[in-house]
Amino acid sequence: MSGLPGYVFVGAVLFGLGLVGFLSRRNLIVVFLSTEVMFQGVLLNAVGFGRHHGEPDGQVFGLFVLIVAAVEAALALGVVVLLFRRKGTLDAEAWKELRG
Amino acid sequence: MNTAWYCLLYGTLAVGAAGLYALLPGSAGGSRRGGAILLLASLAGLLALGARGLGWAGGRDGYFGALGVLAVVAAVRVITHRKPVYSALYFVVVVLAVAAMIVLAEGPFLAAALVIIYAGAILVTYLFVIMLAQSEAAQEYDVKAREPLAAVLIGFLLVGCVASLLTESPAPLVTGDARPAGRLSPDSPGLTDSDNVRQIGSPLMIRYVVALEVGGVLLLVAIVGGVWVAGRRVPEATAGSPAAPAGRIGREVAPF
Repeated sequence: MSGLPGYVFVGAVLFGLGLVGFLSRRNLIVVFLSTEVMFQGVLLNAVGFGRHHGEPDGQVFGLFVLIVAAVEAALALGVVVLLFRRKGTLDAEAWKELRG
Repeated sequence: MNTAWYCLLYGTLAVGAAGLYALLPGSAGGSRRGGAILLLASLAGLLALGARGLGWAGGRDGYFGALGVLAVVAAVRVITHRKPVYSALYFVVVVLAVAAMIVLAEGPFLAAALVIIYAGAILVTYLFVIMLAQSEAAQEYDVKAREPLAAVLIGFLLVGCVASLLTESPAPLVTGDARPAGRLSPDSPGLTDSDNVRQIGSPLMIRYVVALEVGGVLLLVAIVGGVWVAGRRVPEATAGSPAAPAGRIGREVAPF
C-alpha cells in the first residue's frame, strides 16, 4: 500500500480537498491556504513517482515545487494585504465586480 | 477489478464527500458531528480497500496508512475550520505528515527542506497576514461557504477518477515497485541513507542547472515584486463599498 498507488491516491485526495477549499471558502487567506494543500498533493505525487522509478529526479522536482510555493505565498499574501487595505474585508465576494 | 470493487470504491468516496459537505461551514442542514463520523467511516473504509486491493506488507504500510489518515484529516480541518488561525495551524500538521511520508519514500533531505521552508517560513508569513488583517469577531464570510455542494461534487469526481484509474487493470500503475536501473537503493530505510543529498545534488547541478537558475531569478523577481506591492499606498475605500472599518496600516500609518 505504501507503493506508488498509495502515494498517488493520498496526493489526489489532498489535491481534491484543496480544490474544494479553493472553490468554496470565501476568506482570501483560507483560499490561499487551500492552494498550499494542493501543493502538498503534487509534492507527494512527484516523490512517489520518483521512488517508483528509482530515480532522485522526483525529489528534485519537489525542490522546484518548494521554490514556486515560496514565490506564490509571498506574492499572494502581499496582494491579499493590498486588497484588504482597499476594502477593509477579506471576503472574496467583495471583489465580485472582477467577474466582469 | 470487477463492478463490486468500483461500487465499493465510489460508495466509500461518496460517504466521505457527504461528510465533507456536512462539515463545510454554512452548508444547508449539515451537522458537524455527523459529518465527522461519516468522514472517519469513509477513511476507515478507504484504508480497508487499500489494504485489500493494493496489498498490506506490514510495518511500512502501517506507518503510511496512519500518516495518510493524519494528512487527510488535517487537510479537512484546514478547509473546514471557521477560524483562519486554526486553519494555518492544521496546515502545519499536513506539512509534517507529508514530510514523514516523503521520508518513507527515501527523501530525508526534501522532507527536512519541506519542514523548514513550509512550517518555518511560509506558515509564519501566513500567520503575520492573519494577525494583520483578520478581525477578532467571526465574520460572515468565515461561517458561510460559497456553493459547497458544487465544490464537493467536483472534488469527488476528481478523486473518484484518479482512484478508479489507479485500480484499472490495463494500466501499469499498480504493478508493484518497478525499479528499472534505479539509483535509489530499494530497501534502504531512508533515514540512514546518507547519500540522499548527493543523489539530489548532482542532477540538480548538472541536468537541471538551468531550471535552478530560473528558480533563483523567480525568487528575485518575487522579492522585488513583493516589496513593490507591499509598499504602495492605497486610495480610500470607495463610497458604497461593503467595507467594514478598514485596516489602519497604509492609510493613517505608513507601511514602512
